[in-house]
Amino acid sequence: MVNFIDVIDRATTGPMMTQKDFDVKVVIPTLRRTLKKYEIKYDRKEFVNTDDALADRIFEAAVDFYSEVGTYILDTERIIKFTKGEILEAVEDAPKQAYFGEGPDRCVMKGRMPDDNELPHCHVGSGTNTSEENALRLVESYARISKAKTISIPIINTLGHIRTAAGAPTEILAAIRAMQYGREGCRRAGRPGLGIIDHVSSASTGVSTIASSAPQFGARPSDGWLIAPFAELKTDYSSLNQTAYLTAWGANIGQEAGPLLGGYAGGPEGLAVMNTAYSLHGILVMRATYHLIYPIHMTYVCSSQPDVIWATSASTQAIAGNLRVPYYTLMYAAAGAATKMYFDEALACLIMLIASGSGIEDVHPGKAKITDGCTPVDMEFTCQVGHAFRGVTRKEANKLLEKICPKYVDKLADAPLGEKVNQCYDLDCFKPKSHFQKLYDEVIREIKGEYGIDLYKY
Amino acid sequence: MNEQETFIKMSDAVLEGDSEALTVIIKKVIGEVDPLILVQKGMMPGLKKIGELFESGEVFLPEMLMAAEAFQEGMKIIEPKLQESGKKVESPGTVVFGTVFSDIHEIGKNIVITLMRTYGFKVIDLGANVSPITFVDESEKANADIIAISSLMTTTMTYQKDVIDYLKERGLRDKYIVLVGGGPVNEEWAEQIGADGTSDSAAGAVRIAEKLITDKKGGVA
Repeated sequence: MVNFIDVIDRATTGPMMTQKDFDVKVVIPTLRRTLKKYEIKYDRKEFVNTDDALADRIFEAAVDFYSEVGTYILDTERIIKFTKGEILEAVEDAPKQAYFGEGPDRCVMKGRMPDDNELPHCHVGSGTNTSEENALRLVESYARISKAKTISIPIINTLGHIRTAAGAPTEILAAIRAMQYGREGCRRAGRPGLGIIDHVSSASTGVSTIASSAPQFGARPSDGWLIAPFAELKTDYSSLNQTAYLTAWGANIGQEAGPLLGGYAGGPEGLAVMNTAYSLHGILVMRATYHLIYPIHMTYVCSSQPDVIWATSASTQAIAGNLRVPYYTLMYAAAGAATKMYFDEALACLIMLIASGSGIEDVHPGKAKITDGCTPVDMEFTCQVGHAFRGVTRKEANKLLEKICPKYVDKLADAPLGEKVNQCYDLDCFKPKSHFQKLYDEVIREIKGEYGIDLYKY
Repeated sequence: MNEQETFIKMSDAVLEGDSEALTVIIKKVIGEVDPLILVQKGMMPGLKKIGELFESGEVFLPEMLMAAEAFQEGMKIIEPKLQESGKKVESPGTVVFGTVFSDIHEIGKNIVITLMRTYGFKVIDLGANVSPITFVDESEKANADIIAISSLMTTTMTYQKDVIDYLKERGLRDKYIVLVGGGPVNEEWAEQIGADGTSDSAAGAVRIAEKLITDKKGGVA
């Protein structure tokens, strides 16, 4: 694979152009041409793609597209480009397993195949806004979920009464504090070695990420650091600085991206190719050892909308079948926590991911916009579904989604806000409050009644 | 080709994002037809239609960007004639738009700007990493109606509040409608920092902008 030093050298020697030209004259027309050339079409006849040949064409299209487009560097206004040969070599050389955690909590995340009977990697937690008083308890509650192999820890954006700000010293201090809460929460749950793989969600700048990752604050190279691009296929020196530091340390790097359906990628077909191209960018530029995608519908600001579900299923299969890299997906529900609609959306998303060959993360309620808006029940549900629906085929998944999706699709534009964690969950006793428990029992009963699977057995 | 056919062809060219076809037609008729009518009856219907198709999810940002690009190309030819005639294209209002200080994400902002332009708003794009002082100074210069502040990250949201606080310091808060938006922004945050509105979607942002401007101008649409 092209050496990282050579990659960063290309950031200063590659072709130069404005960001606008890259978006409008490179990304958009190249993607359009590629979709035509590889006949990538979505006929809206199924929720989960079942066409293996189409999945393979999406992969080939992504290789072709990425070889023409490359990755834009905001600081130098240049493009890092790779030949098709370099991309295919990187696909071959990319890490196929990522090891997280220490001691008895050490685990391996591997690529899965579509229709695979292998258990999906169950990742829980949320790197979303959380009030500081809840952060430690929440991490403890995530880590107590025994089926969870790895966790994400919350974003803290206050220091007492002061709100933190990107690039300011407050951001560094909050990122350090979040790191400490993360490790301490795992210790309190009796799982000190558990891998935390969303470092450092409280930091948005390279300097805060690197500062808070110093080992004295609790970070270990067996954790994972997520590095996000700018939409679409752009990065900057701040992100590359993180890669430079983390590769020098031998730490796990996660390529993360949340391409927009309706944005520069266009519709579902473009989103499928863009999702896949991000993995190539991740391997070559960000030096990823694992991959996370969280595609979002531009209008509904969630991922449970059927076009996003299909695009994600198709790109997951393209990646699973051709890249076989450690890979998991985060989906957003429109409905807030502790609502029936949330569980319908989450179930549809999780079944699609399991059948398509992805690892799973708890679907985030309320478009991930609500402070304290995720609950440990969502995470328990994810693990239960992951184990119960292990081995579900894409064909079976389609039949299930035909029943599940109509329950919520018409309500996406006006989804219920739901509740915050303190309203529906007792963080002292680590139990849902009675009204939430009642709702959850009803959800479990409905799943058992309609699909014959008792999640409480898992 | 009669006038009506010309307008339909112009509208279709905008809708298709076909700058070349549009400019060919405009060059043919620019000396014969009132430039304001060319904009209103020739180009605006195409722009309005693409906005509607975008809202209904039938087309996406690439199509809308190309339509907006075609419109701009057309305006380059029509603008001098408009100035000569002393006429102006009516606009619902002027928006000064930017992504906050320390945040260089632009896609959300760019989507909303593109849709706002299809609805006739005059939008001044300040780009990303914009300081509170720049937001306010540029709004004063442009005599803006709306200041729209985007932020993608939870750690940069706080700079939305800084713009509003600075407006207050300058005694200008009531002069402007302030809209905030971006990935982590919700109504609770907008209310907390004293913004006038927010929306999850580009279409929602346009609706709020139209409504608040109408309200500000005394309820006359």
